[in-house]
Amino acid sequence: MIDPGQAVERELPSPAFEGDARRPAQSYWNESWERLRSNRIGMVCGSLILVLALIAIAAPLFTQFLTHYEPFRLDLDSTFAPPGHPHLLGTDELGRDTLTRLIYGGRVTLGVALLTVALSLTLGTTVGLAAGFYGRWIDDLLMRFVDVVLAFPAIFLFILMAILFRPTPITLAAIIASVGWGGVARLVRGEVLSVKQRDFILATRSLGARDGRLIIRHLLPNVLPVLIVAASLGVGQIILIEAALDFLGLGIQPPTASWGNMLTNSQSYFFHSVWLVYFPGITIFVTVLAANLFGNAVRDAFDPRLK
Amino acid sequence: MAQTLLEVQDLRTVFATKEGNVKAVDGVSFHLDAGETLGIVGESGCGKSVTAMSIMGLQRPGRIVGGKVLFKGNDLTKASETEMREVRGQQIAMIFQDPMTSLNPVFKTGWQVAEPLRLHRGVDFVKALAGAVAMLGRVGIPSPAERAKNYPHQFSGGMRQRAMIAMGLTTTPQVLIADEPTTALDVTIQAQILDLLRTVNREFGTATILITHNLGVVAGMCERVMVMYAGKVVESGPTEDVFAHPKHPYTWSLLRSIPRLDAERHEPLKPIEGLPPNLIDLPPGCAFQPRCPFRIERCTRDTPVLNRVGETQLAACWVTQSGTELKDA
Repeated sequence: MIDPGQAVERELPSPAFEGDARRPAQSYWNESWERLRSNRIGMVCGSLILVLALIAIAAPLFTQFLTHYEPFRLDLDSTFAPPGHPHLLGTDELGRDTLTRLIYGGRVTLGVALLTVALSLTLGTTVGLAAGFYGRWIDDLLMRFVDVVLAFPAIFLFILMAILFRPTPITLAAIIASVGWGGVARLVRGEVLSVKQRDFILATRSLGARDGRLIIRHLLPNVLPVLIVAASLGVGQIILIEAALDFLGLGIQPPTASWGNMLTNSQSYFFHSVWLVYFPGITIFVTVLAANLFGNAVRDAFDPRLK
Repeated sequence: MAQTLLEVQDLRTVFATKEGNVKAVDGVSFHLDAGETLGIVGESGCGKSVTAMSIMGLQRPGRIVGGKVLFKGNDLTKASETEMREVRGQQIAMIFQDPMTSLNPVFKTGWQVAEPLRLHRGVDFVKALAGAVAMLGRVGIPSPAERAKNYPHQFSGGMRQRAMIAMGLTTTPQVLIADEPTTALDVTIQAQILDLLRTVNREFGTATILITHNLGVVAGMCERVMVMYAGKVVESGPTEDVFAHPKHPYTWSLLRSIPRLDAERHEPLKPIEGLPPNLIDLPPGCAFQPRCPFRIERCTRDTPVLNRVGETQLAACWVTQSGTELKDA
């Protein structure tokens, strides 16, 4: 056993001057974070997403103190009110306040996006790690299954699932993730195949580490950058899919507000109350754009392959 | 005599490929005594590393198809994966060729050097890290407590190899297998690392298997040397004797192909003609026979076996076994 107390009892041959020990440790994460911080567009977009998320979380506060309306409250005396006072962004055909519904819709949309990302990353990472690490028939089995999932026309799958399961935010996330995980699994598997070949995996094996430790402690942290990039680039796409499903009537059902079903609702009134189209449309557009730009910034900062 | 720690008997490891079975290790036998340093030399692809991997049970995707690896009497080729994990890193540690890729880039070096302690001793992180720092100090890393907080990319090649050695030594194994530990380093650092390995051998009493293709390293480090060619041991014996009077034409040719200080000036080096054989389809008889300047008729017919030649050496060669001296033609 080593006794730390009696360390350096006798100096073994010491190397000549080799680098400056005083330079503070710059981990991969520190460096990547610095890179991300210096990307102004990325930071603006990231902040925007963060603000939207905070608004969504604090939705009841906003409706109580800012808009003073409940999302489901009908006001048949002031239907189709144009933007202004007291309805900042106007009202719809039932006199419901648009801003309130947008805020509550944000809860649904961002919540679904977050849940979808979490689900597809968890499943995809697990499958990708197992396939890449164990290889052989496990790899064949899992990856052929992924091929099947990805070969299935997604929109039909969504329609089928939406018929089978009543669309709530949770089932909707599960439905979108059931397709999304395939891409993540492929990505992770590819990365594992390359990391697995590196000597430190062999070296760790030669220390007597078991497979589970190799996968969780040594492989996973090395594929994490790829996951972060996949997650941040996936958010925009998921928001669009979710909005599209809502729009087709396969997603969140009225009266629960979502950006997509607000858009569906508004198409009947396009000619006399155009703001009903504008506001959800602009919200979706801005959110997806911000998510994508932020995703790109994250990729530029974190993707080890771009260095 | 010192007690035998590790004994390899007729070890055979093959790799299945589309073209056929590659016999990477083809009937290798040797032993390692406690505290000694054994050199394994040979050119690339002659089975040195696969032999080491087979001892550790890490030969995948290769398969051990025959022979035994007796470590303190237990046959490691029959050991379960759980038993092997106890041996790896605790009884037998290994150092690899390229220190640049042998450390995990996402963890601090101290964390990694501490890993064997956590795996095998079950000590908590703080204690393991203290042990790692102590060991980093002993292998000559200056200000080890600070350095343990660095990431591998902040270490130079020589320091990384020191860290690898420290990692191997934290659990004070009885055998250290160093697979070309200096090949990826520049010459001055090579000397330091070899010096370190020698000190480790002396101070910790760790028996060392040094795998290299550098004959000079063997001459300076090892008491005994084993020369491999095409998956077989062709010669073994005390380093001095093997180098002074090689009893296998391959060893003889190898020694003539490296520059010597005492050679006549302008005397050209003599390369070994030809290429190593295809391990799937070995030539008949002796594997070295197509390149051998001493070839006799029997060499193309019968495969030579390792036998005593001279006082202390073993060689697998019909020519020297029949008493012929290896001399320039």
